[in-house]
Amino acid sequence: MHASSAAAPAVHYLNNEKTIRSWLTTVDHKRIGMMYLVAVSLAFLAGGILALLVRTELAAPGETIMGPDAYNQTFTLHAVLMVFAFIIPAIPAVMGNFVLPIQLGAKDVAFPRLNLASFYIYLIGAVIALTAVVVGRVDGGWTFYAPYSTSVGNGILFITMGVFVMGFSSILTGLNFIVTVHKMRAPGLTWTRLPLFVWSIYATSIVQVLATPVIGITMLLLFLEKLLGIGIFDPALGGDPVLFQHFFWFYSHPAVYIMILPAFGVISDLMGTFSRNRVQGYKFVALSSVAIAFLGFLVWGHHMFVSGQSAVSSIVFSLITYLIGIPTGVKVINWVLTMYRGSVWLQTPMLYALMFLITFSIGGFTGIMLGVLAIDVHLHDTYFVVAHFHYVMMGGNVIAALGGLHYWWPKMTGKMYNETAGRIAAALVFIGFNLTFFPQFIMGSRGMPRRYYDYLPEFEIYHQLSTMGSYILGIGLFMILGYLLVSLFKGRVAPANPWGALTLEWTHTTTPPDPHNFHHTPVVTRGPYDYHLAPELFADGHSGDGANVSPESVHRSPSEA
Amino acid sequence: MAQPAAGQPAHLKHYFVSSDQQFDAAKMGMWLFLITEILLFSGMFVAYTVYRVWHPEVFEAASDLLDWKLGGINTLVLLGSSFTVAYGIQRIQRGDRKGLIINLLLTLLCAAIFMGIKYVEYSGKFEAGIFPGGNFAPVGDYHGHDMANYADILFLPQFFSIYFVMTGIHGFHVLVGMGVFTWLVIRSFKGDFSPEYYTPIELTGLYWHLVDIIWIFLFPLLYLI
Amino acid sequence: MLVTVFGSLIFLTILTVVSSRLDLGAFNVPLAMLIATTKAALVVGFFMALKYDNRVNSLVFAVGALFVIVFLSFTLLDTAFRGDLPNTTKGTIMEMDAAEAALQARQDAGPGAAVAPVPPPATH
Ligand SMILES: [Cu+2]
Repeated sequence: MHASSAAAPAVHYLNNEKTIRSWLTTVDHKRIGMMYLVAVSLAFLAGGILALLVRTELAAPGETIMGPDAYNQTFTLHAVLMVFAFIIPAIPAVMGNFVLPIQLGAKDVAFPRLNLASFYIYLIGAVIALTAVVVGRVDGGWTFYAPYSTSVGNGILFITMGVFVMGFSSILTGLNFIVTVHKMRAPGLTWTRLPLFVWSIYATSIVQVLATPVIGITMLLLFLEKLLGIGIFDPALGGDPVLFQHFFWFYSHPAVYIMILPAFGVISDLMGTFSRNRVQGYKFVALSSVAIAFLGFLVWGHHMFVSGQSAVSSIVFSLITYLIGIPTGVKVINWVLTMYRGSVWLQTPMLYALMFLITFSIGGFTGIMLGVLAIDVHLHDTYFVVAHFHYVMMGGNVIAALGGLHYWWPKMTGKMYNETAGRIAAALVFIGFNLTFFPQFIMGSRGMPRRYYDYLPEFEIYHQLSTMGSYILGIGLFMILGYLLVSLFKGRVAPANPWGALTLEWTHTTTPPDPHNFHHTPVVTRGPYDYHLAPELFADGHSGDGANVSPESVHRSPSEA
Repeated sequence: MAQPAAGQPAHLKHYFVSSDQQFDAAKMGMWLFLITEILLFSGMFVAYTVYRVWHPEVFEAASDLLDWKLGGINTLVLLGSSFTVAYGIQRIQRGDRKGLIINLLLTLLCAAIFMGIKYVEYSGKFEAGIFPGGNFAPVGDYHGHDMANYADILFLPQFFSIYFVMTGIHGFHVLVGMGVFTWLVIRSFKGDFSPEYYTPIELTGLYWHLVDIIWIFLFPLLYLI
Repeated sequence: MLVTVFGSLIFLTILTVVSSRLDLGAFNVPLAMLIATTKAALVVGFFMALKYDNRVNSLVFAVGALFVIVFLSFTLLDTAFRGDLPNTTKGTIMEMDAAEAALQARQDAGPGAAVAPVPPPATH
């Protein structure tokens, strides 16, 4: 399959069946991935609008557009939607579903019907959680700390059930991917030839399977606490509210890795492809994902340093938290090395990868700061924490998700988006994001507490910068939505391999892919980034100065020549 | 969905290369599901351990209120049902469809006995006002224990919260298992299973054994010590 | 073989009931857990046939068991040492309320009245 064949195949997964029913009942992993894309984009849109409302309220001290009650409910809903309905499924359920089986050379995931069921379970869970808006008064943030959460309104009943149900979707997706990676690899695709995206989704799936059941029982107990007063978490009945925090963070710290590990995978693939180079330290990058997945289970208490937990456990949790810096640093260093030794081709997806290096590193370093016991006592519950986790979740996950979306968009839709628009939007996102969240580090370190609808005059300048940044970020994101939608109708037909990538979804399938992915099961004979073994893409195959970085400069497509 | 190619068994899905690959994948998926079940229950075991370490004397007093004879019978009943499932799988592996159906029915019978005894236990407690947590309001006499003595013991209601939640979730799993076994019996009558294909029975068996293992731990923790 | 395993399980069930009737002091709980673990191992190894199964399934099971232990031990690391910071209060709200009520009752009864026992201090 050559990079230059610019004609879409007559039959592909998007047009082999056309009815709505064929979409809603599909067991094709690609179609399920696309349905997830629509669903999580809607969740992102709703959560994003809520975020803009929060920032608008904070544009000036005092009441701007809403009172304290409305403000509390707005940021809570923003958080719950973004965490459970958007970030957790964003990369694994959309790109994992679409790309992973093809990268493995498989015709589908191991359990296609279970895959479809996961999607509907996710939808049902999201709808149940949203019912809480109607029932009202859920205003304790996404952490639902007892006993506050069980002492206000009945909305908590729905939101805990919603999270419980969405958890099952996450578990079943993870289970499906683990079995798929173990049992469905194409001949010749050894563990050391897996694309790094597969490795990271695999590590993510392990976390999903091991951690999510605990949020399930936690939500169930909280539900029963509210409904029957079982007194396991409620101190008025003899319960221990700190125990709730243990239960909650046993899931929710690893959940941070459910959010960030897939991002690492996307970035690794982007780094290899757009640097025309093997990802340096492949084995270290691959295994560091697994190491992070396991270490991530031993640090949850760093969220509880001021909760009254024992000092002994605080010290242990703090020490292990530092350890996570090691595998994470291994990845960042290897990505930089990959670019240093390669020939970087600056297309829109790669811009997001570069952005990620900056924003995620800031998020990671401030995370280690927060893991230091003495500093955390000062910074706990301030905007510093808010800025930190937005740098990790948005600067890490969302930026990588945008990079991955731009990278796989031609494969998913068969259309190219406008590259210039892509670059402008990327710049807007980068500027807007940093302007939104960097001032929050400063005001947090100066004592601005999180979750308040009002603030002292000395914080006004930071809040105003932050609000302006959020509008720029919003414009950038809407612009992306716009040109991607336009590309569906007016976009240039995508060549089979527009980026000159070496993983199976680009080299062995049509664009868009065949309904069954491959006509013949591929036999894999080289690693995922072995450019020196791929003379068919770049005539001379060499890398370094003066190498061909754009596949089209080698094989110009006939229609454009 | 594409039809299986000529010469391939009817149960083989097109995206698998062989029956063995399909069976291995299904089994690994089931084991992964089982560890999610274990971790789901682990939350309850952690809550139990924390409160027991804090208030051992309360837990010992409370477990006197549970009838170890009923719990013991239920343990034996569940172990028996585990045995019949394992034996049933051995029968179908050897092509004995009738043996399979008999063993599945015996399993269903054991599960029904288990739930029946649970019903007796629960209703007796409700009559004595033993409810979880904040609704705990003991009255009268319960199996020779004067409940008035238990009214003011701090943290006693929590033992029963944990008892009801743990056995409740466990009982729910038993009910789900009964539903699935009923479906398997119907399919067995239709002749869906053979020594070449019995994956659903194998997987349900694994699930059922796990339900048994949870009870193996619940019985001593709640009734005996 | 299934019959032998089933017989051992019955025997261990009887053993755990009998041993719990005896007063072994601190050994009652560990013994009961040891017997339960043995029974679970028999069920996993033979009824679930993990002993003869693909090794990756054993790995899956082992990882699951490991993380239950992680969950339990790291939580106990807090709860067993709770209150080791000098500026935190020991005990729960309920215990503090009960202790306060008892002190109040003793004060109301005045000096010379029978001294009501104060509940033991919180153990954690
Ligand atoms: Cu954390």
